[in-house]
Amino acid sequence: MHPSTAGGFAGRPQRAGDPHVARLLWGESGATRIETLENGLELCVLSDCRLPIVSTVLAYRVGARDETAAQAGAAHFLEHMMFKGSENFAAGEIDRVTESRGGSNNAFTSHDVTAYYFSFAQQHWATALEIERDRMGGLRLDPGEVDAERQVILEELAMYESDPWDVLHQEVSRLLYPGHPYGAPVLGTRESLRDLGSSELADFHRRHYLAENAVLVVAGDVTFEAVRAEALRLPSGAARRQRLPVADVEATSALQRYERAFGEVSRLLLSFPVAGATDVEAHATARLLAVCLAGGRSSRLNQRLVEEEKLALWVAADVAEMTGPASLSLALEVAPGVEEMRVEERLFEELDRLCAEGVSGEELQRAQQMSFADWTFSHERLQRRALTAALALALHDDRYPEASVRAALQTTPSEASSMARSLFDRDRCVVAWSTAESGT
Amino acid sequence: MTDWLRVRRIPGSGTFALRVWFPCGALDEHLPGLAYLTGHALAEGTQRRDWLQVAVDLEDQGMSLSTFGSLELFGLSLDGMVSDWQRGLDWASELIFEPSFTEERVDWLRQQTVAEIDSLSDQPDVVTGWRFLRQLYPGHPAGRPIQGDRESLNALSADDCRSFHRRALERQPLVAVAGGLTESEVTAALESRFAVPGPPHRAVRSLPEASPRTTADVKTSARDQAHLFLGHLTVARDHEDLAALELLGVVMGAGSGLSGRIPQRIREEEGLAYTAQTNPLSGASKVRGRLVIYLGTAEENLTQAEASVRDELQRLLRDGVSADEFEGAKAYLLGREPFRQETARQWGDLLAQAAYFETPWDDPEWRRRRLQEVTREEVERAARTHLHPDQLHVTRGLPR
Repeated sequence: MHPSTAGGFAGRPQRAGDPHVARLLWGESGATRIETLENGLELCVLSDCRLPIVSTVLAYRVGARDETAAQAGAAHFLEHMMFKGSENFAAGEIDRVTESRGGSNNAFTSHDVTAYYFSFAQQHWATALEIERDRMGGLRLDPGEVDAERQVILEELAMYESDPWDVLHQEVSRLLYPGHPYGAPVLGTRESLRDLGSSELADFHRRHYLAENAVLVVAGDVTFEAVRAEALRLPSGAARRQRLPVADVEATSALQRYERAFGEVSRLLLSFPVAGATDVEAHATARLLAVCLAGGRSSRLNQRLVEEEKLALWVAADVAEMTGPASLSLALEVAPGVEEMRVEERLFEELDRLCAEGVSGEELQRAQQMSFADWTFSHERLQRRALTAALALALHDDRYPEASVRAALQTTPSEASSMARSLFDRDRCVVAWSTAESGT
Repeated sequence: MTDWLRVRRIPGSGTFALRVWFPCGALDEHLPGLAYLTGHALAEGTQRRDWLQVAVDLEDQGMSLSTFGSLELFGLSLDGMVSDWQRGLDWASELIFEPSFTEERVDWLRQQTVAEIDSLSDQPDVVTGWRFLRQLYPGHPAGRPIQGDRESLNALSADDCRSFHRRALERQPLVAVAGGLTESEVTAALESRFAVPGPPHRAVRSLPEASPRTTADVKTSARDQAHLFLGHLTVARDHEDLAALELLGVVMGAGSGLSGRIPQRIREEEGLAYTAQTNPLSGASKVRGRLVIYLGTAEENLTQAEASVRDELQRLLRDGVSADEFEGAKAYLLGREPFRQETARQWGDLLAQAAYFETPWDDPEWRRRRLQEVTREEVERAARTHLHPDQLHVTRGLPR
């Protein structure tokens, strides 16, 4: 199967010489091949021999949202333990081997997915699969290593708790997704981590770390046949299990608040629920609204609240990439001497104004151009192409990246305006403040 | 091609990356924060367009502008789609040669910078790092925040930015462009837009003397995490031991992952920290760089963490570097080279660095050779010459 390469971008400014999203991601026609192998693994190879390098991403369809309450933090804990010893790689050896062959590696855990990635010089790419095979089939989970790593995760937790923005984001998630897996921290809590030991992690690994539950993307100077031969050696154990769909979140009917006093500067995080990334059009429109509001210096909120009225030092907007219910968040730091409530009121006034006036064709087109350029800049790197492909295949399908960019480029001003009116509802948002301890 | 100009075609790239650097920074300022303020003010409007028009015009094309002021340089980076490269050069030239530096915009930038310092003061690792730099570079611009401080910023005006910029313009700025473009065409366009009649840029070196070791505790806003910095001055980037120290850095923990000696001992063996970073060449440029070992750990672990770091450094000096470590470090740095040359943005930075340091950092073969030629003995000698566990400055950021 070759990903679709048809279509242009009717909604964006038509300008000669712009590369096509599909070509940027998947390469020239015939360069990408995607297959489900006999062991159940979904394999995608993006052949690109411009540089003698290879990037791999192995994404498991498991994340913090698949944990039970007693397992809180297990997905992330296990990600750490994947570097702490398997049949043929002792604790710490994965890093040593990677480095000694000129490579780099890392991993991350989100609510939806856990991904491991490597990049190597061309001649060493098979090392990545050798390591993945070993820790997929023979993870050790030595109790002493588990105890030592728990300490490291507690330090990681302490690091996030020291950051004012991380605290606000966690509190907003808790309020926005009450009783929902997205409301719980990916790292778990001090209490839940204490109760996670080797046997709990082994059970989690056994259930989720199988070829049938994974997507492997290998991008760079390789052939499909060579990768396929290696990938077939990844262990399989069961038929692919259907993952439970992400539950909906019950909509709240009143504005929710969180407030704490901390530090020298007042910080505001305002979040509204939006459709998840699975709803391609709605999510794309929300991303464009975020750019219109605070995506550049000419954006509405930056112009008014920062540059003209000088109420805020900076403002930013972001749309979460969750597959299930997501959120559009606006963040800002308050200028010295300015009342927090005045900033909050002005922020809501600007949102009201956007809803009343609608999004102009000019500002939408600018947001589309900026989004397209950002996408292009980031996907010039092989590792990023591999990651985008892996997340698409693990959580959506191979058409998703192109459909997502195209949806953004085809959004019309009336669609964006209509979404703004339904989205910016004060009774459905969370307002989180970290106010300066010295007061303003 | 002239020595101030570097252009490189990146086949297949759909973007371009432009860098314009004035070799003039905090080393040259009379009040802390002036270089930072002047660099950032380049985006605040020109004689022809105000800040908003600049932003609208750039963002309409999806261009990304970043202006900066650092210890040794100020200038801008402009990235865009390759079809817009000529427009990008025109606009960058306007921003560089015709900035308006209006009172109103510089004043707001000044206020934002003061508040930025306050905001950074809420980050315990940053506050601890500031104190550490002050201990290492007492009285030197490298020892203070690049933003300056409240007092110095309040004393700065638009006139100061204008004269700092005017002085910088007396010499040729460095210009680099990379992307999917034609080299000869871009070179001609750059020469016509960016050549100035002044002398070439000057190579200013700053090699402050190492100061006697100090220890300091800083109270931070952290709830329960402590931050530990250890280190001392090392060498500037033109030092003959640079490549050996890069390899030594990987052995110590500056590579990818957690395989170096410091993260192995502190995080993997003793579980004392989530973050354990090491770099013997931090900040090394024309200014003398520094060894930095940074750990984020619990307050009760500080003493053990510091002792373990000292012990690891002593062990390194006593036992040397193993053949496996040496070969691994070399393979790592050589293997990473192609990943530093993937995009127009990366090439833009490499080209500008090559012009600034007057060294072929943009020549992949030269880069490979300089690493390839280093021997294990040279790495061990560099360790003995440049690592001094008995002279470590120590800064401890303590939770409140």
